[in-house]
Amino acid sequence: MQFWDNIINVATIGTDKKTLGVEELSADLAGAGSIVNGNTAIDKEDKFLQLAALAFNYRQCGIMPFYKEGIELPLAPAEERNYCSAEANHILTDTLAEDNYSLLRLWLQGCIDNQQVLTADLVPALLAAGLQQKKLQPLIAVVCGRRGEWLARFNDSWNYSSGQSEEEAWQTGTPELRKILLQQLRVNNPAKARELLQQSWAEEDANTKTTFLELLEPNISEDDIRFLESLAGEKSKKVKDEALRLLKRIPASSIVEKYQTILRQAVTLKKEKALLGMVNKTTFQFSLPVIDETIYKSGIEKLSSKKEISDEEHILSQLIEGVPPSFWENHLSDSPEQIINLFQKSPVGKKMIPALVTAINRFRDERWAVFFMQHSEVFYIDIIPLLPVKQQEYYSNKFFDSHPENILNYAFRRQTEWGHELCLNILKYTAKNAYLYNKSVYGQCIYLIPDSIIPVLPKCMPQEEHLQSSWSNNSAYIIKLLTLKSQIIKVFNA
Amino acid sequence: MNLTEEQILALAPDDSSKKSGKDLANPSKWVSKCVNEQALWGECQGSGSKPYQTQIDLGNIAFKCSCPSRKFPCKHGLGLFLLYARNKNSFSTADAPAWVVEWLSKRTEKQEKQTEKKEKPVDEVAQAKRQQARQTKVEDGTEELRLWIKDIIRNGLLTIPDKKPDWFNNMAKRMVDAQAPGLAGMIRNLGETNFFAEGWQTEFMNQLLAIYIIIEGFKHSASLDELLRQDVRNGIGFTQNQEELKEQTGITDIWLVLGKQSTEIDNITTERFWLYGTQSNQYALVLQFIVRGQGSQLALTPGIFLQAELVFFPSTSPLRAIIKRQLTTNSVTEFKGFDNWMQVAQAETSVNSQLPVRGERPFLIKLLRPVQYNNQWWLQDQQKKMMQLKNDHRYIWKLLSLTGGVALDMAVIGKEDRFEPMGVWYNNEYKIL
Repeated sequence: MQFWDNIINVATIGTDKKTLGVEELSADLAGAGSIVNGNTAIDKEDKFLQLAALAFNYRQCGIMPFYKEGIELPLAPAEERNYCSAEANHILTDTLAEDNYSLLRLWLQGCIDNQQVLTADLVPALLAAGLQQKKLQPLIAVVCGRRGEWLARFNDSWNYSSGQSEEEAWQTGTPELRKILLQQLRVNNPAKARELLQQSWAEEDANTKTTFLELLEPNISEDDIRFLESLAGEKSKKVKDEALRLLKRIPASSIVEKYQTILRQAVTLKKEKALLGMVNKTTFQFSLPVIDETIYKSGIEKLSSKKEISDEEHILSQLIEGVPPSFWENHLSDSPEQIINLFQKSPVGKKMIPALVTAINRFRDERWAVFFMQHSEVFYIDIIPLLPVKQQEYYSNKFFDSHPENILNYAFRRQTEWGHELCLNILKYTAKNAYLYNKSVYGQCIYLIPDSIIPVLPKCMPQEEHLQSSWSNNSAYIIKLLTLKSQIIKVFNA
Repeated sequence: MNLTEEQILALAPDDSSKKSGKDLANPSKWVSKCVNEQALWGECQGSGSKPYQTQIDLGNIAFKCSCPSRKFPCKHGLGLFLLYARNKNSFSTADAPAWVVEWLSKRTEKQEKQTEKKEKPVDEVAQAKRQQARQTKVEDGTEELRLWIKDIIRNGLLTIPDKKPDWFNNMAKRMVDAQAPGLAGMIRNLGETNFFAEGWQTEFMNQLLAIYIIIEGFKHSASLDELLRQDVRNGIGFTQNQEELKEQTGITDIWLVLGKQSTEIDNITTERFWLYGTQSNQYALVLQFIVRGQGSQLALTPGIFLQAELVFFPSTSPLRAIIKRQLTTNSVTEFKGFDNWMQVAQAETSVNSQLPVRGERPFLIKLLRPVQYNNQWWLQDQQKKMMQLKNDHRYIWKLLSLTGGVALDMAVIGKEDRFEPMGVWYNNEYKIL
C-alpha cells in the first residue's frame, strides 16, 4: 500500500520537514483529500492528520483476503490404534500439571500396553512435556501416534516424534536424543545397540565415544567382547580405559581369563589332618606367582596403601574383585557355602571377603548374593540390591535403624514398590530429615510408595514441632501423587 | 448444565485456583456430594473443624461456599464442579438441604427484585449542571490532547521510541483529570506500542489516528447522528446508565459464549465475554469488572449456551451489551456464521464505513484450516482465501493438532487482516484454544 507508506514517511520525518500531498494518497481519495487540503481554517498538522485518518479508514475498508495458488497443508494420516478414554485424558492433564517423571512414565506405558493413542487436543501438550522429560521421548512418540508424527513436521523441536527409524534417528538426532536412543535400545535389543554404535564409530569424537561406551554397560555380554577388544588400538586413553572397564565385567573376556589363570595358581587348597589325624582339615593357601607386566597395565596396583594389608594381599584382592564368583566353584570344585566358609576361616581369606563382595556386585551374581547373605558372618549392605525382593525387604528392615542412609540409598534405586513396613520405616526417617528429603524426593520415588501407606501416614509425623508442618505438606503431596498413581493404574486396567 | 473440564477451568479466577480446584476434584476430599435438577452441593473437609459447604447453581451458573476465600469461584466450587464433570455417578441424587434451598431461593428473589428495581428520583437540575461541567472539562482536555498529537506529528515519530513511559502516562493522567478516561486508556495503549517490532510506526499511527478521530468527532458532535455521537462519547469515556439500558427491550436469543478474555490493571480484572446469538446472528461483547477480593456477577465459560435477553449499548454497530435476563438452556443450536473470508471482509467494510474507530470483533466462520505461507500461519477458507493469524505462538499447535489439516468451523476474533481463533468445533464439541 504505497499511499500508507507515504503517510508513514511523512509522519516519521514530521510535518515540519515534509507535508503530504493529495496526489500521494490513493486516487479514490483525491476528492475528499482536496477538501481537506483546501481548508484554510486548519494548520498543516491538522491537514496531515485528517488526510491520514481518511486513508486509515480507506485502508480498513478495503481489506481483502489473501489468495495464492497452491498453498496446501498435507492431511494428517488416520490413527491405527484406538483413542484413550476421556478419563485417561483428564488424568494425563493432571499428571502433566504435576511434572512428575515416574507418573508420566506410568501413564504412557499404560496407554501403550492398551494399544491406545492420545486424542489430538492433548498431543501438543504431551510433545511439549517431552522436551523436559527427554528420557520419555520414545514412549511419548508412540502415544502421540500419527498426529504426533504429523505435527513434528512443522516443529523441529518435536522431531523425536517424527516416526523416524532407529537408524535415521541415530544418524540425524541430537547428541541427547542419540544417547537416549542407545540407552533404551541397549535394554531392549543389546546387539542392535552395539551394531548402531559400530556403524558410526569412526565419525564420533573421543568424548562421544566414551559416553556411548558407558551406555553399553547394561546387558554387557560375550557378544560385545570382539568390539570392545578391537578398541585397544584407539588413540584416546579415555576410550581405551572405558573399553577395558567394560571388558572386566565380562567373565569370558581375555582380561578376566588372565586374572583367573593367576588366581588358579595363587589360591589353592591344602588338606591337613587335625586332632591327631582324626579330622581332615582344608585350608586356603595364598601364594602369588610371578605376574606378567601387562596385568599391572590393566589397572592392578602393585602397592598397598593400608598397613594391615601387604602388597601381595593387595594384588590378590584386586584380582579376586576381577573374577566372577562362580570361578571359585570350578576352581575349588566346591559349593558356594563351603567356599565362603573357607574364606572366613583363613586369616588372609578374611581380608579378601570385601573383594569377593565387590565381585558379586560387579558380575551381578544374584545366586552368590543369596548364599553370601546366608553364610557370611558380617552383613555387607552392598549385597542388598542383588537379593530377591523379599530378602531385600527383610534385610532392609532388619538393618534400617543401624544403616538408614545406606538402606535408603539402595531403596531409592529399586524398581519395585517398597513393602509396607519398609515404606513406613523410610517415611518416618525422611520425615525427621525434612531438609534432606523434600517434595522433590517424594515426587521422584512415588512409584516405590504403595497405596496402602496412605492411612498410616499420620504415624510418620515427627515429634519435633518444627518439622511437623513440613511433614503435613509432604504427606498431602504424597497422597495427591498416590491418588493420581492409582487413578492411572485403574483407568488402564478397567 | 453439562460443562467440560476445560470449560469449568475457564471459570477459575487465576492459575493457582485452577491447580487447587483440580486437587479438590478428588472424592476423598468430600464428606458428601449431591445433585438435583437445580444445584450441586457438597461438604468439603478443609482445615477448619466443620466441613465447608459448597453449592453450585446449575441453572445460571453461580457458586457459593462457606470457606473464607475471597476468590470467586473458590477452589472448593471448582473442585466440586470438576468432580461432577468427571464422575456424575459418584453424586447421589437428593432433596436439597436447607442451606441450599435458602441460597437458591435468595438468588431467585434477588433476580426478581433486580428486574423490579426502579431508579430513584433524580435531581435533574443538579444532573444537568454536572453534565455541563464535565462537557467543558472534556472539551478543554481534548484540545490539550490535540496540541500534544500535533506536536508529535510536527516533530516526527523518529524520537518517539526514546520517550520514557512517563511521557505517555502524564498525558493519560491529564485525560483522567479532564474526565475522559477512554482517551486516557487509548494514550496508555499508545505508549505500550512495541517500538522494537518491525513496522511499529503503523501500529503507532493507527492508535494515534484513532485518538484523533475521536477528539475530532467530539468537537463536531452536534453534526453527528445520535448513534455515532454515542460511539464518540463511549470513546471519550462517558458511561451509559446500565439501569436505564435494562429498562429497554433487548434481544432474546440462545447465546453461545465464544470466548473469554481477562486482563488485570490496578487490581481490577476486566473479563470480556464474546457471545453469539444463534437465532439473531448477532455478536455481543459483555464486560465484567471485578475488583480484587470481590465476587463476580457472571460465571460464563466458553462453549456454553444460555438463553438470555441482551440489551445493547447504543451504537452505529452495536456490540457491547448487558445481560438483562438469563435463563438456562442445554440446547445446542445450529449456527449460521460466515461462509468465507470474503463475507467477513464485506462485513468489516460495512462496519468501518459507519464506525471508523472500533476494536476487534468476533466472527464465526465455516470450514477454515491453518496453512503455512512465508513462514507465517494463516487460516484458509474453502475458496482458498486466507487471513493471517496473530499471536499464533499461544495456540497454533493445539489448533493444528485438532484440525490435522482438515477444515473446521471456527470462532475467530480480530480486525482488518489479522485474526486469532478462540475456539473450534471438533467432533461436535466446542474446544477452547
